[in-house]
Amino acid sequence: MTAPVATAPDAAAHTPQAAPVHDPAERRARASQSFWTAVVGVPAVFSVLRLGVEAGGELQTTLLLVANVGTVNLLAGFLTTAARLLSTGLVAVFALGAVLRVSVERMPPGVRRPVFARWVDITPAWFVLASFLLALATWPLLYLPLLVPAFVAAFQLSPERLHEQPTPRLLLLGAGFAGYLWLLGPTLLDAWQQRELLAVVLLVVPLVLALFVTGPLPAAVIRPLASITEAAVLAMLVWAALPVISTPVLPLTVTTVESSPGVTEDVRGHVVTVDDVNMVLLQERGGVRYVPIGQVRAQVLCPSEEELPRRQLRVRDFHVEDSLLEGLGRRVRPVHRIDAACRTVD
Amino acid sequence: MHEVPPRHRLRALATTLAVALTMTLAAAAGCDNRREPPLPSVLDKLRESHIDGQSKIKIGVATTEPLMGELRNGIHTGFDVEIARYVAASLGFAGDQRIQWVPLATEDRIPALQGGTVDLIVSSFSITEERKKLVSFAGPYFVTTQEVLVPKRLRDHIRTIEDLRKPGYRICTSGGSTTETELERHQVKAYVVKEVGDCVKGMREGRYEAVSSDETILAGFLSQYPTEFELVDMPFGTSELLGVGVPIGDPALRDLVAFFLQKSYLEGRNGISSPWLTAYNRTLGPWLKADKSQPQPLDVPKLVDFDDKAPRR
Repeated sequence: MTAPVATAPDAAAHTPQAAPVHDPAERRARASQSFWTAVVGVPAVFSVLRLGVEAGGELQTTLLLVANVGTVNLLAGFLTTAARLLSTGLVAVFALGAVLRVSVERMPPGVRRPVFARWVDITPAWFVLASFLLALATWPLLYLPLLVPAFVAAFQLSPERLHEQPTPRLLLLGAGFAGYLWLLGPTLLDAWQQRELLAVVLLVVPLVLALFVTGPLPAAVIRPLASITEAAVLAMLVWAALPVISTPVLPLTVTTVESSPGVTEDVRGHVVTVDDVNMVLLQERGGVRYVPIGQVRAQVLCPSEEELPRRQLRVRDFHVEDSLLEGLGRRVRPVHRIDAACRTVD
Repeated sequence: MHEVPPRHRLRALATTLAVALTMTLAAAAGCDNRREPPLPSVLDKLRESHIDGQSKIKIGVATTEPLMGELRNGIHTGFDVEIARYVAASLGFAGDQRIQWVPLATEDRIPALQGGTVDLIVSSFSITEERKKLVSFAGPYFVTTQEVLVPKRLRDHIRTIEDLRKPGYRICTSGGSTTETELERHQVKAYVVKEVGDCVKGMREGRYEAVSSDETILAGFLSQYPTEFELVDMPFGTSELLGVGVPIGDPALRDLVAFFLQKSYLEGRNGISSPWLTAYNRTLGPWLKADKSQPQPLDVPKLVDFDDKAPRR
């Protein structure tokens, strides 16, 4: 990065030289500044993009949403829907970066280190741990086993660290696997009976892979693996970001409107704002509707079709497509009723 | 470059394989997360069904069968009606303003479904092989037996099927019912009228000595005239499975009704008060000799719904 193009005279007085900064502390400070700029900027950009998509591409509707959706609400909404994507990206980078970092020692000195390895170099351990905790809380249970090899790789926790003697080590590993199978036994049986082979593989195989995922890679594969994984993680983030951008910002409702005495109509859409005169609805089919507040007879909250589960599998009564957070939330509010209006109004 | 020991080389190979497989699994998980659900959903079935887009659902019910389907002061009441309200609400038609009640006589049920006069029938409709050729059934939602209602003065005289065959007794039943067939099978000559209510009226006027029908229907009339009549338990043998009648050309609607009956059944089995149990306790429960529970519906499709993720315990 070069020096600023133009600086105020006062600022210039405090900066005796405009040469590139080599001081590690300053580099770290700049990196930190960039990091926090990204932390605030990326969600903000995403949120504005989401508003545009939510408005159906209409400029005036986008402006209406911008005027009525608060910044904090928008960011909170973004984090609610994007936490899974964010944690997936971070976990992938840290796990692959750690594997590449231990492998890179085999490369001749002076060769440029892979990007992920360099990122791991400068990331504090607490941030890596926080990313894994975020993933633990937000990933669907079905995919959580994948977090085990990723965690083992990120912190290079080889089985040898369990115990220096092979026999106690094997016993500890055996006990761990037995406990895991006890926990997931009924789910695995159910998945097998439902012919959900991918679910069986996703629940069992990652734990076995975790035993071998640590340690350096052969020198020949480091360079291609680094390039492939960088491209793959970037592609994954772009691919996974599309549904995040198109996820609605406002909750979906069905509003019963009595436009003339005895004649009611159900309007499916998102409530943009309510004042003393009108309720402004962004209809699901498109278009904004101003409903006089005196005509609103009822309103119910509806789930969107994207929330439909794909599987009928549970782990100890937790649905496999729920995250730990969602599963715990359902225990706080266990009764879930779909209002009839949500079913018939398209 | 220094020589790498074979053990280390093997270990590095294992690491490479493990990393590659983990990445493959992660990619598979990502693709899986974006694929279409393999099971159809309730919404899919609703869109397939002929009731999709209708402002009201037309449900055929009885209006002259106390406790099961009755029209009293302009309000439909009874066990069948409560079940119909639950099914309608589950299908998206909550409240009587979204239901068009169609009064049906026993013999008019099948033609009404075939002619499109009604979308569903919940009216003590027994599931039989013969009827299955003409209409579809979801259920059963109740298992009943054939019984006989007699005036109290005859309770010691009419106790067996043999007694019903005696020439001195005039037995009445409703036309197009399974009871009529069952009486014929036992060589009991019966007077066939349009409604069971006509039989009861005739019995009160002294034109008949006994009425044979489903226990549920007879319990309804017993609740109206508890001092005049008595239910007699007779070994007719077959039990009647009551189901919700659906047009044969709308398998999606049949699947949906079966799915919602199953949902109620599962709620009841888990010890939660189910819609079925509420309907039963409010109507039939106090009048039947033995407590009944909801039978398990047959041929229930696997569908996904929004509440599938809710805790079951």
